[in-house]
Amino acid sequence: MADTPAIQAEALVKRYGRGGTTALKGLDLTVAAGEVFGFLGPNGAGKSTTIRILLDLIRPTSGSVRVLGVEPRTAPGLRARTGYLAGDFVAGSRQTGRELLTYLGDLRGGVPAQRIRQLASTWDLDLDKRIGNLSKGNRQKLGVIQAFMHRPPLLILDEPTSGLDPFLQQQFVALVREAAGNGQTVFMSSHVMGEVQQTCDRVGIIRSGSLVAVEHIDDLRKRALRKIEVHFDSDAPALSAAGISDVVVDGNVLRCKLSGDADALVKALAQYHVVDLISEEPELEELFFTYYQYQEA
Amino acid sequence: MGVFWKSMRDNRRAWIGWTVALTAIAAMYASFYPSINNPAMADALNSFPQSVKDAFHMEDYTRPENYFAVSVFGLLIPILVAVFAISAGVKAIAGDEEAGTLDLVQAQPVSRVSLALQRFLAIIVALVAIAAVMCLVVIALRGPGQFTALSPGRLFAICLQLALFGLLFAALAFGVGAWTGRRLYAIAAGAAAAVLGYLGDSFFTQIDSLKWTEKFSPFDWYLGGEPLKHGVQWEHAGLLLGFAVLFVAAGTWRYNQRDIAV
Repeated sequence: MADTPAIQAEALVKRYGRGGTTALKGLDLTVAAGEVFGFLGPNGAGKSTTIRILLDLIRPTSGSVRVLGVEPRTAPGLRARTGYLAGDFVAGSRQTGRELLTYLGDLRGGVPAQRIRQLASTWDLDLDKRIGNLSKGNRQKLGVIQAFMHRPPLLILDEPTSGLDPFLQQQFVALVREAAGNGQTVFMSSHVMGEVQQTCDRVGIIRSGSLVAVEHIDDLRKRALRKIEVHFDSDAPALSAAGISDVVVDGNVLRCKLSGDADALVKALAQYHVVDLISEEPELEELFFTYYQYQEA
Repeated sequence: MGVFWKSMRDNRRAWIGWTVALTAIAAMYASFYPSINNPAMADALNSFPQSVKDAFHMEDYTRPENYFAVSVFGLLIPILVAVFAISAGVKAIAGDEEAGTLDLVQAQPVSRVSLALQRFLAIIVALVAIAAVMCLVVIALRGPGQFTALSPGRLFAICLQLALFGLLFAALAFGVGAWTGRRLYAIAAGAAAAVLGYLGDSFFTQIDSLKWTEKFSPFDWYLGGEPLKHGVQWEHAGLLLGFAVLFVAAGTWRYNQRDIAV
């Protein structure tokens, strides 16, 4: 089982209606068991279409798909082993959160009430309120809880933190990390680069219905430009070393951008009196923008 | 059976409300019978032109089966039952789908066919409950309402045909909704069948060239064989049930094939 990919899609094509738009144009995707996979791309690129196919809410026009080793189409029981959360979580507004969670739990073969209580208290959610009376953020919390409560081997999350404030987004990151620590696989589409950077092992970028790149987050991080600020005890020298660019000298301070290895820069700095050295965590956002913008070209 | 019980639970208030309201209307009409059953009323009725009497199926009200066929079970009750059935049928799939809440349930380990059939089963239970409660209450009123001439068996027969009549409309709205995923289409199909069916059984029968429509009207299958006089009309019951099964089967089949709308 360990060798079975959590998700495997081959040449997946999805056309809506006769002669309608083609949302997926031969998507190939493999997500290994136990990894946290970020699924990124501009709006309308086919992220939700892919996710809805994984859940058998829609059917591919052609191509094959396997989730946890089985075809979603032929095995409704598979969905007891997945947790799904859509970005705009909606559920019947007249029931309470507890009624909904109990119902969904029962459909999946039962979730202990204790587990539901514990998640609700961690997320500070009143389960006795009717869903219609919950704010958008609180509804989304309910969505998070229902997706994670039965500890499924595979979590399929479609822009899971939309509507959550930054604090809750951080709490969500912790929940994903905990799931990953338990060996659960997470497949997540997102526009929030911070949470992708903090959780994902690999990211796939989808553009106009096909996957254009799959990268390890560490590799991306290495390639991303890192902002460097060096403070000297006297006027900053006009430095040049491998990997640095955009050098700006401002009195005692030198600012530049560094890509890749820092070794050359550090060796070049060694001959000066360095008061302070600030290196910012690389922002992947800019890197993604280059992928995103490619689309318009 | 989780989906079935959830349907029952979610709809319990509305469905109990319908049961109470429909039973109250039937009981009200039934308890008017003593005041209708007098010679002055019979004379007044005889003064109507024959064509009007035919259109409204008016006959000698001194016989309770005639009064009940026209008043209690003739117009308001079947139309309300059809309205109830159509709204329940529309809501089961198409309404849920357009509200965006069907996604979550179908992302659970429940097959499409099982979900559709469990939800329709809940509607069947509601229709049976409505017909059964109404039947029992009207039977209980036979003494006080002075219509003991109407046997419980005959009242049971009409209530059974009423339940099947409701089932047909529920199945039509359900089937169209499950096939298309669109509330509007499901409502339109149900309403068109109800209106044309009613016209086909009443006013069209006055026009010779349209008389044939009566044979295709669910109202005729429900009341045309006069179950209050002759008991259950098995052929009509078979037609109502047969079409209901067909609509549910077709809608469920298509629902199992198609994409769920976002």
